[in-house]
Amino acid sequence: MVSQEEKLALLKTLLLTDDRKLAEELSEKLEVLEATLRERQKLSEKISPIVQEELEEFAQNIPEQLGPVITKTLKIQIEESKDEVVEALYPILGKMIKKYISNEIKMLSENIEKSTKDVFSLKSLKRKIKSIFSGVSEREIILSESAQAQIEQVYVIEKGSGILLGSYSIKETVDQDMISGMLTAIKAFVEDAFRETGHDLQSIEYDLYEIHIHSFHKYYIAAAISGTFTETLENQLENFNLEMSKLINDQKILHDKTSLEQMLNNNFQNFSFSH
Amino acid sequence: MVAKKIVIVGSFGVGKTSLIRRFVEEEFSEEYKVTIGVHILKKTVELKDETVNLIIWDTEGTDEVENIRKAYLLGTHGFVYVCDLTRPKTYEHIEEHKIYLRKNFGNIPIICVGNKSDLLPKGSIAEKKEELFFLDILVSAKEGNNVARLFEKMAKILIYKGT
Repeated sequence: MVSQEEKLALLKTLLLTDDRKLAEELSEKLEVLEATLRERQKLSEKISPIVQEELEEFAQNIPEQLGPVITKTLKIQIEESKDEVVEALYPILGKMIKKYISNEIKMLSENIEKSTKDVFSLKSLKRKIKSIFSGVSEREIILSESAQAQIEQVYVIEKGSGILLGSYSIKETVDQDMISGMLTAIKAFVEDAFRETGHDLQSIEYDLYEIHIHSFHKYYIAAAISGTFTETLENQLENFNLEMSKLINDQKILHDKTSLEQMLNNNFQNFSFSH
Repeated sequence: MVAKKIVIVGSFGVGKTSLIRRFVEEEFSEEYKVTIGVHILKKTVELKDETVNLIIWDTEGTDEVENIRKAYLLGTHGFVYVCDLTRPKTYEHIEEHKIYLRKNFGNIPIICVGNKSDLLPKGSIAEKKEELFFLDILVSAKEGNNVARLFEKMAKILIYKGT
């Protein structure tokens, strides 16, 4: 006879066999997982590709998803704490400006030094005489001279086509054909956009330069000027351009690049604004 | 050395800028960037007895050539009218546009170009040439086929036919 206890054990075996099997499998899996977690390299091998993928996706989506939020937050932060922002930026900007100004003063001082040392040049003698008669120190005269307007480049450009007919430059410049083309395109755009018939674009200001444009019938003369360019000087330049135009017409050299450039060199080299 | 102004015209996306970039910089990019206003590039072409500086104006694409700012077209020595061989819409008004250009800017040379010949099925170029008889030359800015020839052709017309 099978005892009551044996019957219960048999019943347990019958009922719990599957659960035990499952428990054993789970336990095995847990052991493997635990081993993987313990071994750093193994874990890294498993996780790295996933993290990498997630990071890449995150980096790709940052501008799109977080960009507007960051911008908005920054705007609010700046708006709400203007004083703190100014306080934080002030020393940095101050240092930058100070550095720039001291560098400029250093350059100016070097130029003045160079000019005063150049005792025997004609320019220096003229300056000395001017200083004696006007009572203004030589250094002050040099200082005012350094801000004087100077013609850096001159272009004679065919109207419409923008083809460069001739040029004069005190130093090497980038492609002059492209400059004359782009100047013509800008001029054409402005004149066309405002639809002012008979009106010409007369000047373009760019950084420390002013490009003065003087139109004639078939061409225009564009001069890039550095320094302080006043209305009086503009008049002087316009009168000079008229003289140049007369020479171009008289000598019939508009389409003779070599002669035109020779004439421009001879005249603009000796040209200086009288203050 | 003589300088000549060439203006490239044509519809949107026909490959005007790519054509010039291929010719001037020997480069091609699949990326499409819209031209705003005008770009100017320069390339020197050596002919047998003359050196020609081509100042190339790349205009923004438009289906109607009348829409290009007249001021950009003044003083042009030669036009290059670019079409896309895969889009008939880009060449269906070619004759009207040529008439407009000649009427407004003088009797100057216009070379009509079919671009993107690389996209035509292999062996069909001769057939396409016959079909598109109004085009002067078929080119591929992507592969560079006939691009230099096109601009040399323009330089020769301008120098030897005295325009």
